[in-house]
Parts: sequence; C-alpha cells; structure tokens
Amino acid sequence: MSLAHYLRIWLASARYAMVRTLMFRFDFVLWSAVEFTWMVVNLLLVQVIYQHTSSVAGWSKYEMLLLVGTSMIIQRLFTGFFWSNLFEVGRNVRTGHFDFYLAQPGNPLFMISTRKLDPDGLVNSLVGFAVVFYSVRELGLHPGAFDIACYVLLVGCGVLIHYSVMVTIVALPFWIINSQGIEGSYFTLFQFSRLPREAFRGLASLLFVYLLPAVVVSNVPANVLRHGFQPVPVAWMAGIAFGWFAVSVLLFQAGLRRYASASS
Amino acid sequence: MLSTLNKYRHVFLVGLQSNIVYRWNFAVRSFFSLFQLAVVFILWGAAYRGATTIGGFSLHDTLTYFVLLLVLQFLIGAFQEDYQISEEIRNGLINQFLLKPVNYYAYRFSIFVSARLVSGALVFIPLLCALPFIHGDLTLTFEPWRIALALPALIMSALIQFTIAYCFGMLTFWFLDIQGFVILSFAIETLLGGQIFPLDLLPAKIFAAAQYLPFFYQMYFPAAIVTGRLGAESIGRGLGIQLFWVLTLLALAQLLWTRGLRRHTAVGG
Repeated sequence: MSLAHYLRIWLASARYAMVRTLMFRFDFVLWSAVEFTWMVVNLLLVQVIYQHTSSVAGWSKYEMLLLVGTSMIIQRLFTGFFWSNLFEVGRNVRTGHFDFYLAQPGNPLFMISTRKLDPDGLVNSLVGFAVVFYSVRELGLHPGAFDIACYVLLVGCGVLIHYSVMVTIVALPFWIINSQGIEGSYFTLFQFSRLPREAFRGLASLLFVYLLPAVVVSNVPANVLRHGFQPVPVAWMAGIAFGWFAVSVLLFQAGLRRYASASS
Repeated sequence: MLSTLNKYRHVFLVGLQSNIVYRWNFAVRSFFSLFQLAVVFILWGAAYRGATTIGGFSLHDTLTYFVLLLVLQFLIGAFQEDYQISEEIRNGLINQFLLKPVNYYAYRFSIFVSARLVSGALVFIPLLCALPFIHGDLTLTFEPWRIALALPALIMSALIQFTIAYCFGMLTFWFLDIQGFVILSFAIETLLGGQIFPLDLLPAKIFAAAQYLPFFYQMYFPAAIVTGRLGAESIGRGLGIQLFWVLTLLALAQLLWTRGLRRHTAVGG
C-alpha cells in the first residue's frame, strides 16, 4: 500500500479525533490542565533546587530548564500522537479486541498506533517549546539555522525512541498475558530524561545512558542548542532511534505471530 | 460496639486475603519505585556536589527523607481506592450497602487498611535489596519522642489520604469519568505533599501557607517529624491542624455520600 493511502487513513483518524475533542470540550480542558500541572511540577522542582545551588552536574538553571523543556516537548508529542493508542494494546490483546485491528486495511502496527490523537498533549508541547525558547534567550545562545534544524530532527528521533520503547513494552502481553499495568514502566523509565547525563555515574551511567535510551533522548538535542552540532552524539542518537525502532518492530511482528485471539 | 467492630474485622480479613492475591502487583509496583528512588539519588546527589547543605540539611538527611517517603507511600498512601469506589458506584455494587447495616466509609476503610498492610510489608523487599547500596547515604538516628509524635500523625495522614480518595470516588455520582480529576489532584498532592522536593526548601512564606493545606499532612508532615525537619513547636501546631483536616474531610465525605445518594438510581435485583 502506498504512502498516500496511509496518509489518508491517518488524516481520517486525525479528523475524527478533532471532532471528538470538540464534542467533549470539558474533557479536553481537564486533560490539558492535568498535563500542564505535571509540567509545572517539573519546572518548580528545577526552580526550588536552583534556589539553593547554582549548578547541578555542571548545568546552570537555564541549561537545566532547556533540558527539561526538551524532555517535555518529546514526551508531549509522543503522548499526543501515540500514547492513547499504544496504552490500549495490552488490554486489547488480553480481551481479544485486537482482532479489530487485524481486520483493518493496513499494517497492524500502523493501525494500532494512529487510531487516536490527543490534542491536549499536542497543545501542551507548545509549553515545552516556550520553555526551550525562554531558556535559550536567558542563556544568550544564538543557534544557527543548521543547529535548529538538527534540534528539530533530534526531537523527531526522540519521539521515535519513546514510540519504540513503548511498542517494546506493549508487545510483552503477547508472551505474558497477565501483565496489567506494565505500560506505567514507560513513565518510570523516562523520568531519567529530565536529568543531565553528567549526573550519572558507575552502574547508573551504564544502565540509563548506554543500555537504555532514557538519558540520551533529551540530552543530545539540548546539547545541540548549548554547544552547537557535534557529529558523534548526533549520530549516536540517530543510531539508537533507528536501532530501537527496528527491534520494536521485529518484537511486535514476532508477538503478532503468537496472537491467537481471545474472542469467540 | 463489639459486634460493629467484629463486622469490619471480617471485612478487613476478606480484604487481606483479596490483597494477598494481588501481592505480585504490589511487589512489581514497589520494584518500579526503586527507579523513582534512583532518580532522587542521582538528582540530589548531583545538586549536593556544589553545596554541603541545602536548606540546612545534608545530602544524607535529604536522601533519608525520600526513602522514608517511599515507605510511607506504600504504608499509608491511597493507590486505587478512588477508582475502586468509582467502579462500585458506576456498576451499582453500592446498592447492597444501602440495604444492610454496613457503613460504606467504614467498609472501604477496612479494605484500605488491609491493602496497606500487604503493600507496606512488600515495599521492604526491594528496599532490603537496595539497602547494601544505599545504607551509607542514610541518616538512621531516629529520636524516640519524634517516633511517639509521628504515630498519631501517621494515623491521621492515612485517614486524610483515604478520605481524599473516597471524596474523589464520590464524584462518580455527578461525573461518569473521574480519572482526569484524580490525576490532576494527584499532581497537586504530589507537589504540596512534599514528594517532589522537601517542602521546607520552599520560600518561607509559601512554606508557611502550605502548612494550612491538607496536602501538607498527607506525606510531608509524618516524614518531616521522623527525619527532624520540623521542630517541636511546629509539630504540636501541625498535629492540631491535621486533626482539623481529618474532621473536615470526614464531614465532606459524609456530605458527598448523602448528597450523592439522592442522585443515585439503583436498577436491577
């Protein structure tokens, strides 16, 4: 099937999501407030810590805000485009409702990933962009067009990493049926994305910087704005994004072959 | 009186059995909380590299505070009570309590106590695993008078935690889905309950204002008593304010129950 066909499917889903949002306006306002409050909580943590110290692992207050803002953008874009879709996969595999996606006209992974859209997450990503913009201004940074383009591409890689990790997590119910609540481990892992890489030492560095993509995902794009384009970390992050994506797709396909449906 | 207590003792025992069935859920949850603890150790460890004390407390004091907070979350925190109550109202399961001499609040509270007994015991497993790595970072010199004052504070904290969750559950009488309210409230409770940072690190005026809110008494207050972040005078005044919030929330819970029942329609046999 052509790319245009998938684009048409995605646009139809997006249109449906917008209509739904307009129907349930109070829900939209409430969930936007929920996400916004959590973002404020993270910003307040930075504010409070830097009232008592001038540096955390060599990062100043506004550098830290740049990191937290970048982490927010990636997470909000991921939740806006994919979270509600992937969150349901485990439950659908357990109940047999996953059959519904197999009968749809397209690749099953695409169909389960794009059915819904959460405009509240997408709207809140603007808050993340505002935090990044404010931090860059306060730091007196003047990134060039190439650095900005690189930052945007790395944010895209970051969303791909979040997506791939979540697909890996929700593929587990194909093997372990009784794994309710496993989706929450996504938030557990990406808490580390709000910390500077230099804060990690020893085993923590090995685990969260090198083995899992929790730290790289936000540190590399933030560093492009701080220090300009550096080929090695950028290539490292792009490699991690595509590597994790490949692994998650293979895992999902393998899981799909095991799926035997649970409905009558 | 004794027969009333006996009634809820049975609810407690049934709740205990039912929660032991879900022991793995609690165990997995407590295992994941170690990652939360890792974030705290890494972040605060890095923040303290530039300062020997923050807000008058050493790194070890602050890490001890967060470890104690983790234990309290499993010992007195309300996990799923709001959703469970909401589910029982939506599905009409509360109808049975309208015809029996059972107080719904006392029934749910008995189950809450049994659940916390199981989760409170299970949190020590991952903590014991982590202890060889973290014991050097902790200040384990607890004073007996603080422990004595922390006990009533803990009991009242559990009551506040549960009653807030109960009140959110009651909202189901008015709203079909309470998840948004619960998560919004969770963010506020997490922040103003001192789970993101010790509240005493806030500017003095904001910290003073926070002491009049119920969230202050959910987690921060008992943890701050034990870890020495509050003085004797503040503890005495705090216990009074905490008692006020317990009574206010209990009254609110009762009000929501009676008002909610007026809107409730029981269908079926």
